[in-house]
Amino acid sequence: MVSSLINRRSLQIAALTVGLGLAAPALAAGQITVGVGDNILGLDPTDLNDSVSLSASRLFFQGLYGFDRDLKLVPVLAERTDVNADSTQYTVHLRKDVKFHDGTPFNAEAVKINYDRLRDPANHLKRQSLLEAIDKVEVVDDFTIRLVLKAPSGVLLNYLAHTGASILSPKAIAQYGKEVSRHPVGTGPFVFTSWATDNLKAARNPDYWRKGLPRADGVIIRSVGESGARLALLRSGEAQFIFPLPQETVQVVEKDSRLAIDKTPSIVTQYVALNTQKKPFDDVRVRQALNYAIDKNAFIKVVYNGFGIPQDAPVAPGIAFYSKQGVWPYDPAKAKQLLAEAGYPDGFETEIWNFSNTLNNRASQFLLQQLAAVGVKVKLNPLEAGVATTRLWGAKTPEEAEVRMFFGSWAPSTGDADWALRPLLSSRSFPPALYNISYFKDAEVDAELQKGLGTADAGQRKAAYDKIQKLVWEKTPWIFLSVNTLVAGRDKRLTGLTQLPDTSLTYEDAELQ
Amino acid sequence: MLFFLRRLVGAIPVLFAVSIFVFGFVRVLPGDPARLVAGADATEQEVASARQSLGLDRPIWEQYVRYVGASLKGDLGVSSRTREPVIDVIAARFWPTLWLTLAAMGWATLAGTFIGVWAGTKRGRWQDQVAMLVAIGGLSFPGFWLGFLLINLFSVHLGWLPTGGFDSWLSLLMPSFTLGVGVAAVLARFSRSAFVDVAGEDFVRTARSKGLRERRVIWRHGVRNALIPVVTLTGLEFGTLLGGAIVVETVFAWPGLGRLLVDSIAFRDYPVIQAEILLLSAEFLLINLVIDMLYGVLNPEIRLRS
Repeated sequence: MVSSLINRRSLQIAALTVGLGLAAPALAAGQITVGVGDNILGLDPTDLNDSVSLSASRLFFQGLYGFDRDLKLVPVLAERTDVNADSTQYTVHLRKDVKFHDGTPFNAEAVKINYDRLRDPANHLKRQSLLEAIDKVEVVDDFTIRLVLKAPSGVLLNYLAHTGASILSPKAIAQYGKEVSRHPVGTGPFVFTSWATDNLKAARNPDYWRKGLPRADGVIIRSVGESGARLALLRSGEAQFIFPLPQETVQVVEKDSRLAIDKTPSIVTQYVALNTQKKPFDDVRVRQALNYAIDKNAFIKVVYNGFGIPQDAPVAPGIAFYSKQGVWPYDPAKAKQLLAEAGYPDGFETEIWNFSNTLNNRASQFLLQQLAAVGVKVKLNPLEAGVATTRLWGAKTPEEAEVRMFFGSWAPSTGDADWALRPLLSSRSFPPALYNISYFKDAEVDAELQKGLGTADAGQRKAAYDKIQKLVWEKTPWIFLSVNTLVAGRDKRLTGLTQLPDTSLTYEDAELQ
Repeated sequence: MLFFLRRLVGAIPVLFAVSIFVFGFVRVLPGDPARLVAGADATEQEVASARQSLGLDRPIWEQYVRYVGASLKGDLGVSSRTREPVIDVIAARFWPTLWLTLAAMGWATLAGTFIGVWAGTKRGRWQDQVAMLVAIGGLSFPGFWLGFLLINLFSVHLGWLPTGGFDSWLSLLMPSFTLGVGVAAVLARFSRSAFVDVAGEDFVRTARSKGLRERRVIWRHGVRNALIPVVTLTGLEFGTLLGGAIVVETVFAWPGLGRLLVDSIAFRDYPVIQAEILLLSAEFLLINLVIDMLYGVLNPEIRLRS
């Protein structure tokens, strides 16, 4: 409260001096305010699945591994890991110079307590499946831990790098129990100050193990759902960074010499899932025809103001083992020809669903128009998110499924091809198990997915994912559309605040000049 | 006093009925809270785990018995969205909503009634027409538009006021003004016509013929009687605003009950929806009671009859 009053006062001084034609003084030095689009729902990373809360929790928490700006795996609280020959035992050597915010030393015992807590189904933590491959967590010595797996896995470190597998202070876990989500104590660059409904405050961790960091004195995260209000937050100088920046306001920001636009390629793919087990989408020619019928560049321009690239593989370029296939060409004549060959010379009628919001509805409308041009009449059925849960996951078998076309997106938060493909395309991932909305079933793809998952050998994994992506591209269970660009607004005096492709923010190097 | 107590006791069965209705209503809504809690990328086990921890795997009658039993002990449950105790979730939003409502209703009631009565005394003259034109303008102003105009002027260009949030009394100014405009306009029109009606009554003519000064006739005899319908309307508006003002809360990032209800419904956060609807019902019952008592203050005859 005190710091916010000081802020407010300096704002007023700033306002007065601007009024007098003088240069505005800096805000309270090094205090960074970030405006985000959603509420923070909790601060225990192991029990979160929304990107805003997960991103906020990274102020306080770190895992054994993490991702850099290009989504490459980097050690954080770990120094290195030895994997045995058949990828069933991971021996992780930990950093020795780390303490939690409450002074508790970070060591192998702390990791074991955290991993056992996350794995225990009785705790009902939302991220429990991240560690489901682990059979046993063994403390080898103070700073060495061995993870024994149930089956060989090549992606374990990517799961450990997920924010959801962050390490909490064992003392805080014992002290706060379930309330730990409101008392975040980790090893991260900032320590928790306060959290009210729309307002999270954090202060510099003076004992941070990376010497000289963080640069900022503190961070405030404010939740402002309305996009115009969020823009006003940036323009008035109350915030120095806002995300997302509404695309229709990009021009306003561009005109303001104090502000900049930050663009980050995302790992979010946008596509239309086609129910491959229902007519007419059970015919691959129909599915290919629909891919020919959409002008992907126009789609990106009209729907996302040009902020994106056409999808050129089933996974986004930032994902490990991405294998470029080339953009599916826009060719309405070819689309009509394929439809005719498949027995639909006059097209057909069908329905498309989405999670209803302005952007998704705009995207669906665009698709409707382009498909109408090749004779496919599509009715839009936007679903409120709650209703969508019953419509999509309510079907217990592929036969029961009512979905025909579904406009959706996927952000594989582990940065690896496995989580980018398996939940969407494995025959074991049909709803309600996971998110294979196209009910795609292909023996070869299934086999290769298992191969890719079951080995840590990069060469073998690459071979498996190359093959899968090629197969999926030909069999077109989706209309492949775009990979979007993340757009944020920034005060030019703010440097070093980076956004990762999964939308999370890294504050360590951020500073306000 | 006895009247007051009797009414309070009478509210209990009403609230009980509301609780049953809301409990049933939220469960009739399509949508799976467990899937919403677990997320789109959750595995089937994670969804089952969420369902279990929410208690939604139990038969519905058992859920209701547990809900009533816990509620009677003052335990409203835990939010499925944030896993916070519901009482804390509601409390965090209640106070900002109450402040905003008091500020908006405070200025709007004073300004609205005053303008209305003043216009009534000038009935048919240009002052009356201008005042009513302004009132219609105030009514037709969309809240989000006015809100953004204010933010643009006072926050972005002048830098005097914060764009939103709930930090200091300064952040209360723009939202309470925006929220009060519509109320003031309604009250102005309402109190004008109420005053005009009363001004034609016999007792006003009597007061005047007794030789009382005009100011005393208007404010003591006229307005006091004209206030009765105005109080009713004010009470209703007050109750509505206490339920949260979604548009204003959204524009000014105000952490109020309106947005909480919308978010909770979107998330199928049963415990929070139940508690909030119950709170709103209780507020309305209380406000109605206060209005009834105010009638008695304004017109002793009403007190006698009850």
